[in-house]
Amino acid sequence: MSEETQITLEKIDNYHWRIPKTYKPGMRVSGIVYADEKLLKDIYKDKALEQVANVAFLPGIVRASLAMPDIHWGYGFPIGGVAATDIENGGVVSPGGVGFDINCGVRMLKTNFYYDDIKDKLKDLVYALFSDVPSGVGSKGDIRVSAKEEQEILVKGSKWAVEKGYGTQDDLECTEENGAIQGADPSAVSDRAYERGKAQSGTLGSGNHFLEVQTIDQLYDREACDALGLDLGQVTVMIHSGSRGLGYQVCEDYAKDMIHCLQKYNINVPDRQLACAPVNSSEGKAYLGAMRCAANYAWANRQCLMHLTRKTFERIFQMSWQKMGMNLIYDVAHNIAKIEKHSVDGEEKLLCVHRKGATRAFGPGNPAVPERYRKIGQPVIIPGDMGRNSYLLVGTKKAEEETFGSACHGAGRVKSRTASTRTTDLNTLLKELESKGIMVKASGRGTIVEEAPAAYKDVNDVVDVVHNAGISKRVCRMRPLCVIKG
Amino acid sequence: MKNYELIEHTADVGIRVKAVSLEELFKNAALAMFDIIAEKKFQSSGSPVKKFIVKQKADNLEELFINWLNELLSLSSAKEVIFCDFKFSKLTEQEIEAEAFGCDMKDYKVNAEIKAATYHQLKVEKAGSGWLAEVIFDV
Repeated sequence: MSEETQITLEKIDNYHWRIPKTYKPGMRVSGIVYADEKLLKDIYKDKALEQVANVAFLPGIVRASLAMPDIHWGYGFPIGGVAATDIENGGVVSPGGVGFDINCGVRMLKTNFYYDDIKDKLKDLVYALFSDVPSGVGSKGDIRVSAKEEQEILVKGSKWAVEKGYGTQDDLECTEENGAIQGADPSAVSDRAYERGKAQSGTLGSGNHFLEVQTIDQLYDREACDALGLDLGQVTVMIHSGSRGLGYQVCEDYAKDMIHCLQKYNINVPDRQLACAPVNSSEGKAYLGAMRCAANYAWANRQCLMHLTRKTFERIFQMSWQKMGMNLIYDVAHNIAKIEKHSVDGEEKLLCVHRKGATRAFGPGNPAVPERYRKIGQPVIIPGDMGRNSYLLVGTKKAEEETFGSACHGAGRVKSRTASTRTTDLNTLLKELESKGIMVKASGRGTIVEEAPAAYKDVNDVVDVVHNAGISKRVCRMRPLCVIKG
Repeated sequence: MKNYELIEHTADVGIRVKAVSLEELFKNAALAMFDIIAEKKFQSSGSPVKKFIVKQKADNLEELFINWLNELLSLSSAKEVIFCDFKFSKLTEQEIEAEAFGCDMKDYKVNAEIKAATYHQLKVEKAGSGWLAEVIFDV
């Protein structure tokens, strides 16, 4: 089903490409793709661009349907898509524009260790992390909560975890929305969603979710690194997870409901997976209330995962996590819809910004950025595949002007899971990773081959584009040491 | 032999299922989905099979098909079972009532997580004298 797309893109400059509004009748705005010629070759291989054009049908969409350089074929929305709708002008919210894994996101913490300090303990560390941090399909954690507590998590997010002793106030300040987006409505979450979420707090999950111990192998911006307390060779940790079964259920419940909204509100979209409702409608409000609950659940989850990680480091290195300097650098969501103010054609507007596989990337001075980072801009964390690199960047003013303050979220898949499984030999891959000094532990052997580096675009190419286009600025690059996969 | 084919999709995975009747189509699609999710272990814990009643309504056959698969995924995750058999008491283009038989997840090796069945490139249609369905899952 790898059908090549038929769209011809108009070149704006080396990193901006346009799908004209005239491409399909019904498009309300044009599509803008952030890519270079090299990445475009992969982007043309599937129907992701067609999906960028389809998103341009959404009522109230402003400026353009945007695609980040890690864009790939999703269902309904492309993965790596950004779309903002004008709430006062019938702008809609679409559960498909957020996806099933609501607030799937990533956090990065630092340590005071350098690679040489821990290289002899890496094997112990990878086994200990694998045993202490619950991972895998439907994994269940030791952090069990009552129904009443689960409601509390949905409102308080990371703060719930901090109150339980799983972190500090500092962690909250270094999390997007301080780890709890306002306006969560637990009564909008179905009983089934509660049931699915009950046992999964503090679990990593499966698929592309991971926990990695990394080391910084390249610095790009010394000033920003100093502000972040980062140095060449320093050991860092990255955690990628989401809202687990609770989020999937919220998306499913509302995607199902919103199919009926298409007729009710006379909305014409070319794909049912783009089902949506006006932000100001009862259905739109209910979805946003429930989505925020799932987002908060995900932040609490990543906070719990970080706590388990810190405890494991304490056990292996016989030191407190504070002494090891395991402070959170930042936590960003990359599947979310947010109500934000942005300037459109010189006028400030209240928008519903969908980031589906895209990271918020606010620039210096933005009041939503924690004070400690306000001078350099919001940290933007871009995980790559398990064999190459991950990046830390900072957001820019240009991103706020062009992309509603958004950037890419990862490397972006280029090969299907089935194709990757068919073409990758597990033992060869493990040996190859080992020769690069990377240790991998996974619950399912299948996950390792599905997630093989060759299944992804090179994150270095993706980050080059966002940096050169000016929508984020490179700070430093990490390479993996230990990888725990679900 | 497997009663379905895999469809390749960049981010996700899909299936193509054929059947002689609509009931068989719904059953085969559900079995294929759980075949992707898990495989039975050789040794069973002997836990009894649990029966669940699944009732769904929709405006049309495609929606009904998606609702059916998503309800099974949701039940499977909430109740920690893998569905292994189904009996239909009612199946029209807009309504389904069935008994779903779930085996304890402990008796399975779980290989993959399917988040949901999607409308993306969905097909549920008559093909010759039988039926055909294609569905992409979010994994």
